Amino acid sequence: MTRYLALLLLVLCVASLLAGGAGLGVPPSTILWLLRLPRTVLAVAVGAGLGVSGAVLQGALGNRLADPGLLGIGGCASLGGAVAFYWGLAAAAPLALPLAGFLGAALGGLALFGFAARAGTGLAFILAGVALASVASALLALAMALAPNPFALAELGDWLMGSVADKTPATVLLASVPIAVGCAMLLRLGTRLDALALGETTAASLGFDAAATWRWAAAGVALAVGAGAATAGGIGFVGLIVPNLLRPAVGERPAALLWPSLLGGACLLLAADLLARLAPMLLPLHAQPRLGVLTALLGAPFLVILARR
Amino acid sequence: MKALLLALMAIGLPAAALAARDVVSLNLCTDEALLTLAPHRAAAVSFLARDPSLSVVAAAARNVPAIRADAEAVLALHPRLVLAGHYGAQSVLVALRRTGVRVLTFGEPRSFAGIRSQWQAIARVLGAKAHGKAAIAAMDAQLARPSAPRGTATWLEPGLADAGVDSIEAAVLRHAGYRPVVRSDGLEALVANPPRLLVVPAIPRFPSLADALLTHPALAGIARKTVPARFVVCPGPWTATAVHLLR
Repeated sequence: MTRYLALLLLVLCVASLLAGGAGLGVPPSTILWLLRLPRTVLAVAVGAGLGVSGAVLQGALGNRLADPGLLGIGGCASLGGAVAFYWGLAAAAPLALPLAGFLGAALGGLALFGFAARAGTGLAFILAGVALASVASALLALAMALAPNPFALAELGDWLMGSVADKTPATVLLASVPIAVGCAMLLRLGTRLDALALGETTAASLGFDAAATWRWAAAGVALAVGAGAATAGGIGFVGLIVPNLLRPAVGERPAALLWPSLLGGACLLLAADLLARLAPMLLPLHAQPRLGVLTALLGAPFLVILARR
Repeated sequence: MKALLLALMAIGLPAAALAARDVVSLNLCTDEALLTLAPHRAAAVSFLARDPSLSVVAAAARNVPAIRADAEAVLALHPRLVLAGHYGAQSVLVALRRTGVRVLTFGEPRSFAGIRSQWQAIARVLGAKAHGKAAIAAMDAQLARPSAPRGTATWLEPGLADAGVDSIEAAVLRHAGYRPVVRSDGLEALVANPPRLLVVPAIPRFPSLADALLTHPALAGIARKTVPARFVVCPGPWTATAVHLLR
């Protein structure tokens, strides 16, 4: 499964370098290296981070609805990013944007896992996540309204729709490094997640403390999702769809799901971005539809199917 | 009182001289018109009018109270006239109209002809017809200088949206001798068919995602000129200065 997904990702990456607003085929080198490559790298990084985060959250919490976006971690990251951006921090120091996104996601993750440690991971946990998401979006709106920038509100709408297009190579690099570190941390959690799947008591008897696993998961997810959300805006549902889509193929064991979810997330986001790029060529659109809009349109029906099962 | 005023206006006395500080403006564009044409009548203008990166009347605005679109705050000033834009704060305007305050809204002209007619209309309302005429004459004198054809140009709006052919930005480019190019979405299309010139509005005080994008290295190869955003954010006689800067 992992091998097929890796192959698919490779094919999608090649396709991604050959399609865009300038047309199909090999583009001039400026476009290839300065626009298409950063766009491809960012889509892969953000998608991989979201996919593996979804798999780890679902495994660590034993809840198939866990997703960094649904639980508000993505929203907290966006909040951090928006604050850094519109209050001039990002202009003063480029590192401030991914760092603020990570901090936002880390605070959100800590709050959430702190709740899980006390109240368990059932319905109450999802409700806590939804509450966190709405607090994050309310604070985001507040930050925008208070921002000393009359254009902030207009840009917010655009930004929340999510996009990996037209980022500078430096921005992409700044976002990709923490995502890669976060993914590496999350991929190492496999054994702990498998132990946790047997129940907290059994896991403890095997020497794996649930609280410690959750802490590692929170830190890893914050890195894997935070910088991406601060750079690419609100891209939802990838962390939710991908593990659920792959579970029938790879089985219930959380550890077996990590690599496939990472690759699957990257594939899904890159495919959605390709669709966004091809849409103006196929449909009478004067602009590319936003990536976050496409993932939400793909994700919502999936959520309904998941709920019906 | 009203009848008396009307009578005075009819015999040609400037009403402004009688009724000081009786106009409130809630929109940057009407702020600029008010503070240019009849500053002595300004009871309050919007906060944005004080910002030199957006407003051409920033210095004058500092002498006038700043206000936000809040019906109570406006009514507390007992204005005879409220000026506002076509968009935003519409519920405030409805509330003000209901209390009997005269509210006039103005759009943003998309051409120099539009600026002429709008400016005349505002000048008439403010009782400053002569001022209005002089400002338009100065604008027309600046525009009258012919411009040599200079090739294509794209005006990048914040958010990377193209201003479009039917916009004041396109009118400025045409007057400066450029052929405005409407660009489809995204940087790629722009880099694939680069215009001779990229015009970028400068809004120094406000970092935006759009600005961040303009630093993209893929755009480094295209010549660019910056025009202070305040000359086009609200089209007015000063917009001719933007033409001058691009010549």
